[in-house]
Amino acid sequence: MTLTENLFENLRLELRRGCLTLAVLAQLKEEHYGYTLRKALAAHGMEIDENTLYPLLRRLEAQGMLTSEWREEDKRNKRFYRLSADGQEIFVRLLKEWNEINTAIANLL
Amino acid sequence: MELLDRYLKAVRRHLPWLRQDDIIAEMRANLEAQLEDKQAELGRPLTAEETEAWVKQLGSPLAVAARYQRQQYLIGPALFPIYSYVLRLVLTWLTVIYVVANAVTIAVSNQGGAKVLEAALRLPSIWLINAGIVTLIFAAIELFGPRSPEKFRGLEAMAGPMTASWSPLDLPTLGESDGDWAKPRSFIRALLEVFAGGLFLGWLLLVPHYPYLLFGPGAWYLQSLPYQLAPVWWTFYWLVVVVNIFELGWKVVVLARGAWQRPPNCTRHLVMHALSLVPLSVLLAAPHHALFLLKNPAADAAKYGATVASANSGVLKGVAVVVAIIVLQLLWGMGRVSLDAYRKRQAAK
Repeated sequence: MTLTENLFENLRLELRRGCLTLAVLAQLKEEHYGYTLRKALAAHGMEIDENTLYPLLRRLEAQGMLTSEWREEDKRNKRFYRLSADGQEIFVRLLKEWNEINTAIANLL
Repeated sequence: MELLDRYLKAVRRHLPWLRQDDIIAEMRANLEAQLEDKQAELGRPLTAEETEAWVKQLGSPLAVAARYQRQQYLIGPALFPIYSYVLRLVLTWLTVIYVVANAVTIAVSNQGGAKVLEAALRLPSIWLINAGIVTLIFAAIELFGPRSPEKFRGLEAMAGPMTASWSPLDLPTLGESDGDWAKPRSFIRALLEVFAGGLFLGWLLLVPHYPYLLFGPGAWYLQSLPYQLAPVWWTFYWLVVVVNIFELGWKVVVLARGAWQRPPNCTRHLVMHALSLVPLSVLLAAPHHALFLLKNPAADAAKYGATVASANSGVLKGVAVVVAIIVLQLLWGMGRVSLDAYRKRQAAK
C-alpha cells in the first residue's frame, strides 16, 4: 500500500468510525441479534466487518445505549439488542449533529 | 463443526476472563447463523477447503479477542497529554537536581573525571526508572480513573494549564527568551538598563577606594583583622570590571543602532555567561590556592595559619561549585540555541 493509499485508508476509517455507531443505533430501533443486524446494515449499504460490529454492540451496551437479552430463536440461543431509553435520546441528538455536519459539508462543496 | 469449535476455543483463550463464556456463546450464535446462510446459498455443506477459507477470513483468534478487551492502551488519548507533560517535567527536574547534586559532591570531594563519567553513565538508568514509575502511575490512573475520577482531582492542579480547569491568569509570563514574538521593549526601558549598567560600573570602580560601599561599616572591622586579600583578587576585580564594561558597551551599541525593541537574545546571554567564567577561573588558578593571606605571616602563622588555610579551601570549593553551575547553564543555553536554530531551519523548509 502506498503512502497516499495508507493515509486515505486511515482517514476513511476515522470518518466511518462515528458513522458506524450512528448506523447501528438507527438500525436498533428494531430488535436484532448480531448477525441479522449486520445483514440489515449491509442491505442498506453499510457493510460492517463482524469483528468491528460485535464488540461495538458490547461497548454500546456497557455504555447504557443498548439493552440486550438472551432468547431462543430457531432452536438457538441468541443475544438480541435494542436501543435503550438513554440510547434513544443520544441517538436523536447525534442524528441532529450528523445532519448539521452533512448540511455544512454540502454547503462547502 | 469441528474447525469452528477449535477457532472459538482459541479466541476464548484471549478473551477477558469474566466475560469469555458470554462472548463465545454470542459469537457462536452469530457465526453459525452466518454459516447456515452460506450453506443455504450454495445448497450444500461447505467443503473442507471452503470451511478453512471461511474461518481464516474471520481473523486471527488473538486479533478478534483483542477487540473485546476493555482497554486497548496503557495510557489513553485523553490522559496522554497530561502524562507527557508530567513526564517531561519530572525528567527535567530530575536531571537538574541530579547534575547539580553530583557536581557539588564531586567538586567538594575533589574527585576527578572518573566520577563525572560514572555519574553521567548512571543518569540513563535513573531516567528509565523514573519514567517507568511515572508511566505506571498514569497507567493505574487510566485503569481506575474513569471509575473513580474524584480520586485523581489532584492531577488537574499538577498539570495546570493542560487541563479543563485552567485559567488564563495562570498562564506563564513572557520571558526574555520569548524575544522573537514577545511585546517589543520600550526605549525608556532600554535607556534605563544602560543607565543602571553605568551606575553599577561606577560603583564597582569606587569600591577599591571606598570599601565601605561594599562591606558597609564592616570595612573598618575587616581592616583590623590579621588577614588580607591575595593579589589574585585584583586580577579578579579588573576582569569583572572589563566584563561589565563589555556588557555596558554592548547595551550602548544596541541603543545606538536603534535595536532596543528586541529583547536581549540568547547569544548575548551565552557570551556573558562564558565571560563570567574568566574572572572565576582566575580565582581557581590562584597561586598555591591562596585567596587570603596573613598580613604578618612571621608573627601570626602559628595562631591564624589554620584559619586562613580553612578559609582558602572553603572559598575555593564555593567558587568551584559556582563555576560548575555556570558551565551547566552555559551548556543548557547552547543546547537551547542549537535546538531553536534547528527548529527554525525545519520551519523554513
